[in-house]
Amino acid sequence: MAENSIVLGMADLLVVSAPIKLVTLGLGSCIGLVVYDTFAKIAGMAHIMLPDSRGLRGSEKVGKFADTAVPFIVEEMLRKGATRPRIKAKIAGGAQMFSLPGASAEFLTVGAKNVAETKKRLARLGIAVIASDTGGNKGRTIEFSTSNWMLKVKTLGKGVSEI
Amino acid sequence: MADLTAFSDNQLDAIREVGNIGTGNAATALSSLLSCMIHMNVPTTELVSIYELAEHYGDPLQTVGAVFVRSSGSFQCSLIFIQPEQDALKLVELLLNHQFGSFIPYSELPPEITDSALSEVGNIVLSSFLNAINMLLGTQHQISVPGVAHDMLSSILDVVASIYGQLGETALLVNTELSVEGLDDGRRISGHIILIPDPDSLNLLLEKLKVI
Repeated sequence: MAENSIVLGMADLLVVSAPIKLVTLGLGSCIGLVVYDTFAKIAGMAHIMLPDSRGLRGSEKVGKFADTAVPFIVEEMLRKGATRPRIKAKIAGGAQMFSLPGASAEFLTVGAKNVAETKKRLARLGIAVIASDTGGNKGRTIEFSTSNWMLKVKTLGKGVSEI
Repeated sequence: MADLTAFSDNQLDAIREVGNIGTGNAATALSSLLSCMIHMNVPTTELVSIYELAEHYGDPLQTVGAVFVRSSGSFQCSLIFIQPEQDALKLVELLLNHQFGSFIPYSELPPEITDSALSEVGNIVLSSFLNAINMLLGTQHQISVPGVAHDMLSSILDVVASIYGQLGETALLVNTELSVEGLDDGRRISGHIILIPDPDSLNLLLEKLKVI
């Protein structure tokens, strides 16, 4: 069956039933987190921007921060019929777009912090990260297929890989 | 930090004027570097949703060439000189032609040369921009080594989201466009300078401009 695509914007978070392709365009330091349950045939994607909400007020989008997005997306998966031991995760993104030797600018390494926090939160919930393509200095566009459960990662000048 | 959405039109105008002075200086520097006419538009101060930064500037997937610097000192900020990829390469070709008499088309230049030249143009444009601002404010600053990237617009602008995202959902940007005109082949090379004041520096800016 043909898969329709849904494109997620910054800080969006969505859980869907197969067959739907989940897409996020042009991730830089942001993370594309995918969680899926092949038995229940559901999958979720979050476009995470920052590691830690630091108790920021509740009006913010839940998908924006790793510490709020991970528990929320897992909860949403469970609500839609997944069981926790079957949920697996894939992660892409978290690049450092610019490096400035000698400059003290904490925000330039936010990509690595996004990866670390996302993995930490997943581990805390007992969810295994099956595959990841993170770090480096190039942006990524990702597509997750709910027919073969593969994450296609496109990087400028490096072509396409499937993880 | 000041609540961005509560900024008055007067305050936004004052910040825009800072951009105006910076841009004038940057245009002059670029003009003498290339011996070309540089056209500048009137800068704008923009409050942009951090979720729609890329869309605000164009096609999120468009490939761009960008030079990024950090300025530390009393007025802390980041600056990006961002161009469509073709324009960035064309600018490098023009610079090498003008400064060294090179006739190598940009498509044949090795990437290391292109990046090095681009980072130098970006450095000159952004330092001139900053110098004028610091002169106006009476502040001292130190500018970082420039960083260069060629990538999707959306990926590049993640850096803005990571500066403003921790504080809310809106970014304050001073945006201006420079273009090189009167080229032999009738083409126009354009580039945007985006000033991203650190949220903590906004109050200082308004204080110095005497528009609290």
